[in-house]
Amino acid sequence: MGDILGLVAKRLGLGLIILLIISVIIFFMVELLPGDIASAVLGQGATPENLAALRKEMGLDQPAIVRYLQWLSGAVMFDFGNSIVTGESVTETIGERFANTLFLATYAAAIAVPVSIVLGVIVALLRNTIFDRVANVATLTSISSPEFFLGYILILYLAVNTGMFPAIASLREGMDFFELLHRTFLPALTLVLVVTAHMMRMTRASIINLLSSPYIEMARLKGTPPWKVIVKHALPNAWAPIINVVALNLAYLITGVVLVEVVFVYPGIGQALVDAVSKRDFPVVQACCLIFAATFILLNLAADVGAILTNPRLRHPK
Amino acid sequence: MSVFVIIYYTLLLGASCLAAYFNKRSAFLLLFSLTLVSFVLGIVGGVPALKFVAVSAGLLAMAAMVSYGFREFLVAISSVNMAKELRTAPLTAGFGMFVIFTYAVAGIFAPIIAPFGEAQVITSAFAPADDTMLLGADQLGRDMFSRIIYGARNTVALALAGTVLAFFLGALAGLLAATTGGLFDQFLGRMSDVIMSIPSLIFALLMLSIFGGDLANNTTSFWLLVGFAAVVGVLMVAAISESSIIGWLIGLAVMAGFATVFAGFMLTIFNPSEVILVLVVAVIYSPRVFRLTRAVAGNVVVMDYIEAAKLRGERKWYLIRREILPNSTAPLVAEFGLEFCFVFLLIAGLSFLGLGIQPPTADWGSMVRENATLISFGELTPLIPAAAIALLTVAVNFVVDWMLYRSSGLKV
Repeated sequence: MGDILGLVAKRLGLGLIILLIISVIIFFMVELLPGDIASAVLGQGATPENLAALRKEMGLDQPAIVRYLQWLSGAVMFDFGNSIVTGESVTETIGERFANTLFLATYAAAIAVPVSIVLGVIVALLRNTIFDRVANVATLTSISSPEFFLGYILILYLAVNTGMFPAIASLREGMDFFELLHRTFLPALTLVLVVTAHMMRMTRASIINLLSSPYIEMARLKGTPPWKVIVKHALPNAWAPIINVVALNLAYLITGVVLVEVVFVYPGIGQALVDAVSKRDFPVVQACCLIFAATFILLNLAADVGAILTNPRLRHPK
Repeated sequence: MSVFVIIYYTLLLGASCLAAYFNKRSAFLLLFSLTLVSFVLGIVGGVPALKFVAVSAGLLAMAAMVSYGFREFLVAISSVNMAKELRTAPLTAGFGMFVIFTYAVAGIFAPIIAPFGEAQVITSAFAPADDTMLLGADQLGRDMFSRIIYGARNTVALALAGTVLAFFLGALAGLLAATTGGLFDQFLGRMSDVIMSIPSLIFALLMLSIFGGDLANNTTSFWLLVGFAAVVGVLMVAAISESSIIGWLIGLAVMAGFATVFAGFMLTIFNPSEVILVLVVAVIYSPRVFRLTRAVAGNVVVMDYIEAAKLRGERKWYLIRREILPNSTAPLVAEFGLEFCFVFLLIAGLSFLGLGIQPPTADWGSMVRENATLISFGELTPLIPAAAIALLTVAVNFVVDWMLYRSSGLKV
């Protein structure tokens, strides 16, 4: 077991280093602004007194490296400073929204993961038939469509024309769980369509890759029944690629969520990010970017670690 | 039971019986499962659902015929070698090439095809379609059809420019890293790792928040362009002149001139905020190109003929140009198509969020956003630009799929 722990620890350390570098990029990109944040906020009509006051308030009179360390130590404790536009604490503004986004992503993943793995395995077993080709064209179309296209089609047919689901996924206090699921069904379905297509294609590819290996052929040749070939011989080795596929696509959900939230006016962190970018509210932008990047790295790490843990060769070293 | 339903089932059943009789197994399976699905759909949705199925099947058949015709047309007009390759193309690839051709025509001849100008206000907001306006008017009373045609020019040109720049930077760095190796290779590799570990849309939003607002002016975008050209130029000079000091001096001088001309040229085509968008996209996607080029070139560099060329005393630039590039074109071309799709979707997404191409320039992403209110009245028009985006991406993907399959080095 020592080997595995070492490998996992190494991956975790690498992820931490990358996250640190990204925090440096996110912080110092804002420093690229000519002048500083204060002059960017106040615009060209600012008086020197106003500028000096704002600089003092934001701590801009200290060197960049000190401010970076302060920002980073705050970020570790989930304190991202105050918004430039509203003056409120960033954490309070985006904290609840982050929970909403996590809910939407979990909802989508709970539907997409089982569906796409089952469909992917079926398509892989039926490869080179007409069904495989139809599935190929369908998934390719779904991947190639922008999220807002799928979202608006769903709104048009499931909300406007038939009225089965609400077109706007607004949330209010005290909704019960089923109403919540009903209200957020369309955004979740949009995400499911995109992610399922990706996952199905990747599952299909990895299963086909597996089924062409010599030991599967050997199992077939010695007369093992087909279901046993799949369950006993293929599946134990398929977990690693499947876990990889799932984690990578959950990471993909993160980018998709931004556009979907805007289409359905869902109060999530993606919409907060887009608003902050158009208002140039840098502390909020930095916080959102850091959260998104951290989640992305975490999921990629999970993929790596999962692949290591489910690899029979590593679990039973010679 | 209307006449339509009877004809519909008779046709389907007849066709599946014929397929079964002539032992066309896959055709029979398809037709018969369609019949079974129609039973369910007919019970649930009634005649309209069946009509929908019939219309989509008709459309599919028409698309197949168009793609077949277009492929045969291409075979007929191309040279013998090209024709042999083209004959192996599946129908989907033929369809992809047809769509790309159509978009190219629409983009290049936009001013001739479009009946009105892209920013010309001709009627009241959301006016319905009539004889002069095929698709009605948008939220400011501009002709929707003309704007969609102009959108083919603006959106695709921008995405193409972004992809080309990303390719220049990524491919050059990849080739250089593969031939140089050592610390340089390691450094570029780790740098691309870091950039790729930030989700692309998030990174784009971060950079646009910094270079937006007052900063999207001529001076900033000019210097950013010069900076980008300088990075590409230094890589190129490093590849060509290697360790000769005079070579570096001449190269850097030429490069500085070239960078200025390039920046001026880009600014005459695009406005400043579009230039920044192109550069942001190029920076985000170049690491992906770098990864692939590095991998492909890495496989070529270890070949015996490269060793022979090195022993002959050939220089790095010769190796890149005459030995490595010709042997890695196929995967690189396919990658170009794939990157174009990613870039195109990213730019469309950013424009949809109102952060990409700025009005009054006609662009598909922002058109969807601006006319989205129409959807709540059950109108299809706002979806047409979004469908245009999806169609082009699908088409490029179809062609890329065929290329990947052909260049078997990268079978998916």
